[in-house]
Amino acid sequence: MATVSQNSRLSNVLWPVAAWVIALIFFFPIFWLVFTSFKTDADAVKPEFLFFFTPTLENYTNMTENYDYWRFAINSVITSTFATLFALTVGVPAAYAMAFNPSRHTKDILMWMLSTKMLPAAAVLYPMTFLTKNFLGIYDTHFLVILVLCLINLPIVIWMLFTYFKEIPKEIIEAGKMDGVSTWGEIKDILIPLAWGGIASTALLTFIFCWNEAYWTVRLTTIDAATLSTLIEGNRAPEGLFFGRLSAVSTAAIAPIVILGWFCQKQLVAGLTFGAVK
Amino acid sequence: MSSNNRTLPRILQTPAVVLLLIWMLVPLSMTLYFSFIRYVLNNTRRPEWTTPSPSNWRGFGNYEYVLNAKDFWFAIQNSVFIVTSILIITVVLGLGIAVLVNRKFPGRGIVRVLLISPFFVMPAVNAVLWINMILDPVLGLNGLAVAGINSVVDGLRDFPVLGWFFNLWPVLEPISFRATQTSAYAVIMMVAWQWTPFAVLIFMTSLQSEDESQKEAATLDGASPWSQFINLTVPHLARPIAIVVMIQSIFHLSLYAEIEIVSRGSGNKNLPYLIGEFTNNNIGAASATGIFAVILANIIAIFLLRMVGKSLMD
Repeated sequence: MATVSQNSRLSNVLWPVAAWVIALIFFFPIFWLVFTSFKTDADAVKPEFLFFFTPTLENYTNMTENYDYWRFAINSVITSTFATLFALTVGVPAAYAMAFNPSRHTKDILMWMLSTKMLPAAAVLYPMTFLTKNFLGIYDTHFLVILVLCLINLPIVIWMLFTYFKEIPKEIIEAGKMDGVSTWGEIKDILIPLAWGGIASTALLTFIFCWNEAYWTVRLTTIDAATLSTLIEGNRAPEGLFFGRLSAVSTAAIAPIVILGWFCQKQLVAGLTFGAVK
Repeated sequence: MSSNNRTLPRILQTPAVVLLLIWMLVPLSMTLYFSFIRYVLNNTRRPEWTTPSPSNWRGFGNYEYVLNAKDFWFAIQNSVFIVTSILIITVVLGLGIAVLVNRKFPGRGIVRVLLISPFFVMPAVNAVLWINMILDPVLGLNGLAVAGINSVVDGLRDFPVLGWFFNLWPVLEPISFRATQTSAYAVIMMVAWQWTPFAVLIFMTSLQSEDESQKEAATLDGASPWSQFINLTVPHLARPIAIVVMIQSIFHLSLYAEIEIVSRGSGNKNLPYLIGEFTNNNIGAASATGIFAVILANIIAIFLLRMVGKSLMD
């Protein structure tokens, strides 16, 4: 008996220590990125300034000059925001219909929508470039990026909303019907206030996915609609010359999303496993 | 009233269905069509091949060409290697960390936040950060650490007894992760770093629904923590493990940004990267490769959809 209690006392100390050590190891690369962003380009590659150096903000103040950061950042904000809004505008009515008026085909439709998400993007790379460049003339426009981001996230949006809406008792919606409320009224006055939390977390998660998207946003833009992914990918190999300024611009590119992500880690599970893990 | 009940839901779903239908069918049928014709972007000898037309019909010629290309088999092999390595690392680490963090201890909330953070880093930043600031053989932490070890060993060589031992010690060479043989390891490392948090998060969610009374009974029966883990926890996690494996397979089969940033595909192509290279000129071959990628993704997708479908309506 004594050994058991000793054992558990020991593990009461070791357990949290191990958890903390692993968490710090995982966070270390992000810490290092932020840390390096306060070094000058020259200091960043000198071993003697590895841990101790005079911190500077010049990498941040020169971000516009060095990388034209804000132009890319504004493009990211515009495309991610509008793609999220459009996906919700199309997704909320669809999920509403499927959750409260399911037909025999609802399950099949949902599965099919999910299967579109699994189409490898590279397989349709050329047709997309061909169509948008030669045919529709919308290559490298905000409109195109918004449209594509909206489409690739629409299945996840509908799935997440569907899993949230399913939790709302049908009777509440039906009571509204009895009172002669129109469908639009039902959505606007009953569903949206009730499912507000679910809709908000769907929006946050969609925004994160849009912001981090790195295939279509890079391949369907050149200058005008290029987002932060394009900016970073374009500066991929500085060969040690610009570690400081590259760290600063990278930090600025990920900070809003990492912080946003902290608030919706729970929703991430529902959103990425399509409700299959609870 | 009853007809209203049926038509309205349909109208509400229509925009979503139509949009996704166009998105799925139009580009994919173009890919299918291009995969059966001769279509190149630059060819001065045969200019008629530079415009897509049914008169350039090639049948299964593009498929044959792709199947005989050495790069294609290398890309498949490399795709499978990268994906399985990432899967093994993330599932094993994810299980261990999830069990570790599933207990109550001081600062658990902060530990969770630190652990999940890598998942929200955009792939381009992830790759740039790892390949430059961490893995660079001269200026990154990799190079600095090896140089540091070497100089410490160098200093110890002059000592009387210890020196004999440290003289046997070789001068270490930092590994360059941009090289042909090692660039795949760099990609595996950075993607596993990013996706282990995802596995942890899912396993943790699932662990919270584990039946505690079963565990208590097992403890009373004298079952060791290890046998509890193997006999109770792992079976409980079978389904989340399967889902983590399949979702990651779908994402990692289409890795692109990381491969581009690490080595521009030198020595480390996967199917999407090969398609991208073909797209620079040979659209026919790119399309045939694309169709192979679709088939590969579908095989995994079918299993995933079955699993998800089961839990859909309950």
